[in-house]
Order: sequence, then C-alpha cells, then structure tokens
Amino acid sequence: MLSARGLCILPLPEHRLTGRAGNLSGGDRTSATRKRSSSSRTASGGGSGTAAAAPELPEGLDGDGLIALYRDVVTIRAAELRLRRHIDEVGFGGFWHPGIGQEGLQAGAVAAMQPQDNLFYAHRGLGYALAKGMKLTELFGDLLGRASGSTGGKGGGTVHFADPSVGVMGQGGTLGSNFVLGAGTAISAQLLGQSRVTVVFFGDGASARGTFHEAALQASVWKLPVVWVCENNGWAVSAPFSEQSPTPNVADRASAYGVPGLVVDGQDPLAVYAATREALERARAGEGPSLVEAKTLRIRGHYEGDRQKYRDDLTDSEEIPNDPVLKLRELLAAEVTGPLDEQARQAVDEAFEHALAAPRPDPSIIFQDIWAPA
Amino acid sequence: MSEITPEAQDTVTINYARAINEALAEEMRHDERVWMMGQDVGRMGGVFGVTRGLFEEFGPLRVRDTTINETFIVGGAAGAAIAGTIPVIELQFADFLLTAADEVFHKLAKWRYMHGGRFALPVVVRLPTGVLGGAGAEHSQSLEAIAMHIPGLKVALPATPADAKGLLKSAIRDPDPVLFFEHKGMYREKGPVPAGEEHFVPFGQAAVRRTGADITAIATGMMVGRTLKAAETLAAEGLELEVIDPRTLVPLDIESILASVQRTGRAMVIHEAARTGGAGAEIAAQIQERAFFALDAPVWRVAGTDTPIPQDPDLEQACIPSVEEIAQAARVLRAI
Repeated sequence: MLSARGLCILPLPEHRLTGRAGNLSGGDRTSATRKRSSSSRTASGGGSGTAAAAPELPEGLDGDGLIALYRDVVTIRAAELRLRRHIDEVGFGGFWHPGIGQEGLQAGAVAAMQPQDNLFYAHRGLGYALAKGMKLTELFGDLLGRASGSTGGKGGGTVHFADPSVGVMGQGGTLGSNFVLGAGTAISAQLLGQSRVTVVFFGDGASARGTFHEAALQASVWKLPVVWVCENNGWAVSAPFSEQSPTPNVADRASAYGVPGLVVDGQDPLAVYAATREALERARAGEGPSLVEAKTLRIRGHYEGDRQKYRDDLTDSEEIPNDPVLKLRELLAAEVTGPLDEQARQAVDEAFEHALAAPRPDPSIIFQDIWAPA
Repeated sequence: MSEITPEAQDTVTINYARAINEALAEEMRHDERVWMMGQDVGRMGGVFGVTRGLFEEFGPLRVRDTTINETFIVGGAAGAAIAGTIPVIELQFADFLLTAADEVFHKLAKWRYMHGGRFALPVVVRLPTGVLGGAGAEHSQSLEAIAMHIPGLKVALPATPADAKGLLKSAIRDPDPVLFFEHKGMYREKGPVPAGEEHFVPFGQAAVRRTGADITAIATGMMVGRTLKAAETLAAEGLELEVIDPRTLVPLDIESILASVQRTGRAMVIHEAARTGGAGAEIAAQIQERAFFALDAPVWRVAGTDTPIPQDPDLEQACIPSVEEIAQAARVLRAI
C-alpha cells in the first residue's frame, strides 16, 4: 500500500464527508468502496466486547485494542465537552483550540504507536497527549494553569503538555516548529540504535511552513524514523485550504521528497490506525519517513469563541458529521460501550474537579527551569 | 576570576581552529552521544577547515553534512537533545542565527522552561563570527548581544586558542544550550594551550589578561588582542590598562569586573559589535548600578559603528575599533 513512488490513495468509505464543517467532495477519494488491505483480519473471540458480527479490524488491532481505542476516543470527547462547558460558564485564561470531531484521528494514529515512540502533537485539542498516556489530571492542570499540570502551572492556556516518560515531547508555540524538532528526535533514535519512531502531528495550515520542507528533505535523505500525520480540517484559521494549496492534498507534496504520501478518511479511526501503522513499520525498518494525511473537519472555531464570520458552511446542527465516536460504537456491543461512556464522563469530571481544586503556581515559578539544575 | 598562566603547565602551541578541532575530537571520543552536523562540516572539514579529519574518524552518522537548512540544523539539534544525544552544530556564519531565529531563540532557549523543566537541551551552536576581510553585511556581524537579551542561552566568546578549546569542552558538557562565538578572523592565530585532554575553562569566570591601575578595559573576542596591543603603547606613556576578558557573556562574571573598577575608578568596554544595544551597554549599566561611587568618570564604550558592515575589506575595518582608537579613547578617558 505504501510505496516510495509517492502519493498513494487509501480506500475511503463510500460516504462523502459533508456537513457544517466543509465539503471534501471531488475526485477518486469519494468513490472508492470500503476495503481493508489484504492483511486485515477480524477481531478474535478474545475480544469479548466486540459486536456480534465480528468487525473487520486492521492488522495489529485486536478486540481489546478496539475497546481501548474507543475508551480513548470517548474520553477525549468528554474532555472536549467539559472544557467547552467551563469556557462557556467560567471563562478561560488563554485560547483553547478545540479538537472535537478529530478525536478518532488523534487516538487512531496514536494507537498504532508503540510505548517508546515519540510524539509531537498539534495544537488542536488534548487527544494526542491523552492517548499517548498522559494523565487527565495533568492535562487539565496545564490547561487551567494549575500547579498540578505537567509543567507545574507554567503552561496555562493551550499548549505545552509534556511527559517524556511516555514520549510526549512537547509543543512549540510557533506552528510548524515541530517538524524540525521531530526529525531531530529521530536522529537520536538512529544514533542510539533505538527502535523508536517519532510521530509529528500538524495541521494543513502548518504544512506551509519552510520547516516542513527542510525537515522533509533532510529526513528523507537520512531515512530518519519519522511519520508526519496531517490533520487536514480544511481551514488554516480563516483561510480555506483550497486557497492555500495548488493541489487537493498535502500528501501530494510527499513525492517531491521521495516519501510515501497517503490520504485517509480522518473521521475513520481504523483507517487512520492502519495507515499510521504501515508508516510506522516502514520507519522502524529503516526505510525512512512517510506522510499520512487524514481528511477531517473543523467543527468549532479556530479557538473556542471564534465567531467564524469568514465561513459560509456553518449550520446550527450540533451533530458531528461522520462522528468517529459513532463509527466505533457500531463495531462494539452496547453493553460494552455504555459503561465505557459512563466511565469516561466520570474520569473526566473527577480529573477536572481535581484540577480546579489544585492551587495556582507560586509566582516564583517564573524563575524556575530557565537553566538545568546546578 | 583567573589568570591564564600557561607557562605554569605543559602547553602545546596550536592555532585557534586547531584548538576547536581538538576539543571536538576529544569530546566525541569521550562520549558517544556527542555528534555534529552543519553545512560542509564533513567531507570538506568546514569552510574554515575547523572540522577537518572528524568525518574520517567518526563517520557520516556522527559528522553529518546537511543541506542548506539552518532551521533544520538548529531545530533538529534541539529535538535530538531532548531525545538523548548531544549535538554540536555549526552555522556556517554566526549571522545565520537570524535565519534560524525561531529555533535558536524560541526552541533552544525556551523548550526546558515552557515545559516545566522536563527536558534538557545540551546543544552547542558553533558560530563563526566577526569580520574576516570582505565577507559582507550578512556574514560579518557580531550578534552576541541578541543572545544575551533572550534568557535561556549561554554565550561564550573565546579570545585565545586555550580558551577556544577549554570553553568548547565545557560547553559540550554543559546541560544547557550554548552559543559559541568563535572569531573567524582568529582561526589562524597561534597560542599556548594546556596539553592533554583535561583542559576545561569554566563558564562565568573572567580572565585578567593584563593588570593595571588606571583603567579597567573589558574586551571581548578579537578586541582582546587589540586592547592588549593598545595597552602596550599606553604603558610606554605611563597609562596602565587592566584588561579583562569576560570569556562568557552568559553567565557574566560581573564580580571580577566590579572588583577591578573598585581599584581603577575608570572603565571602558571594547567590542566589535555595533555600539547601540551591544554587550557594552549592558556591562556599562551594571558597573554604574553597582560601582557608582567608585567611578571617577563615565563608563565608555569603544565599539563597532551603528552601520551594516560593507563588503570592502578596508571599509570593513573602518567599522570596528582599531588599536589606535582604543588607545586614544583610553587617553581621553583618563583625562576626564
């Protein structure tokens, strides 16, 4: 499925990605029928929670993996909704860039990673970091500027969660800076002989940065173990992707760097999982980087509170088109998903209350961590 | 504060470029996590020949020739550092700090801080700096003051072969990012360097290059040598300069400077960088804040002109302090 020749289109579901947040119509992407690769297999009986008719799962994902993925996706969804409620009711000391609707993409790609793999996340939501193993209490602590956050309260606002022990390597405030840092972590993996791949998430907006070009070119030449996952939600703040790209896909640029470029349905967590897994395997085998472009939707504004007057594709519906939660729910029995949904809500509520109750950092924190401890 | 007294120990006489080369080779042998990248640092041995032989000894994985991609060189080094190795990178000219500004001043300087101390960034950025006979406005600047202004970066400016080696070895073992400004006009200058592999010059420790009772002259980089020459001329006239080389601007050994000013009552700062907003402005401000009552005269700056540096080699020299300008400034300062 992956080939060094360049663009490779993965099969997409029959449905069109339409709705309030954009029209992804056009071309061969929408006409292909759903068909997994020949290596796909069905969930084994061991995953007792799967629906009666065992779903076809991508290679590497068993029934338990599917349940874990569902738990991640619904936990991220619950976290998104809890944060939105907080912003509506209380306010927020910073900008929250919501990732609602993109949870399946984020969790699906991360599910394909191994624990030792490194992750650089994009700015939209906390799904990446949560799926990679960070604690909700730390993430909410960061977002609310509490001492209980992973950064001790310095990261209040949107970004800068970090936990290198689970491979969450942080985030730069200048979009696109993760391309070069991500490639750098892969140099270390190569030098140290580690079986460790770095996944760099980015948006279609950040794909315009020169850092993408420099990282893609050098990483390809050096066959660095990197996978770039583009969340193409069609909007770079106020600019539609069609006005910022001469080609319909970011992945079309991959061939210029001699790396595979794949386009997948970003609303389908299993499709993202399968594509990311193949890219990870390729990188781990020393064959170099790949680019996975997941077509998705921006359900909310660039930040929560953005009135989006620049968009003409908005509707009043609260429904999320091609909702990844519903897509996964179809594959699992209701007696499994019901408790998981409830557990996710409960875990999110408890962690949020914990963060709210945590102290703000002492102002002396501004003088900490400029230099390594003596 | 320490005085360099190479006479007191076994030394070898090598040039500044060779001293840097030895530091790189020794530290790469000492620690397998140390590696290098930059444009033409490998097969060619660097455009100034500083990294000659390292590609042959350590191979293409540890001595990496990059494409023309400063944001990758610096950003990649930041990423590599947080993932467990120790990159020593070269930007072909210090001016290219501005090409990679986001990576230098945001990522290297702030990644540890922004993430609550959860990462270490042991990166050394080697920066051939200063004028070298016609390199032009974008290849001749002395930008160290910018690095002083952005918290999170250490700044070294070796002025002798011994310091070039000793400071670089310290920089490579430092857990924080270091901008290492090596003067490209000094690469062929020879001097005594302590023999062996245990020569480390600590950061934040100024060197007194010459003692004198009349004026404290704080000089950096290539201006250290010019100030010492001026001091010789002035000594014959009965004016004694105490020449202090801070060696690192971050951290800055202000205590040694203040102790000298307490004795002399007069101070001047000499640097090649443009006058306005240069390191001299900061050093002068600190002296006046902390040693005001010891001063018999204002603190003077002898510095580069507030102009771009023209490509013509003669005009270029007109942009930076000469030995005679330094001497004349000292004469006037004493007369105040």
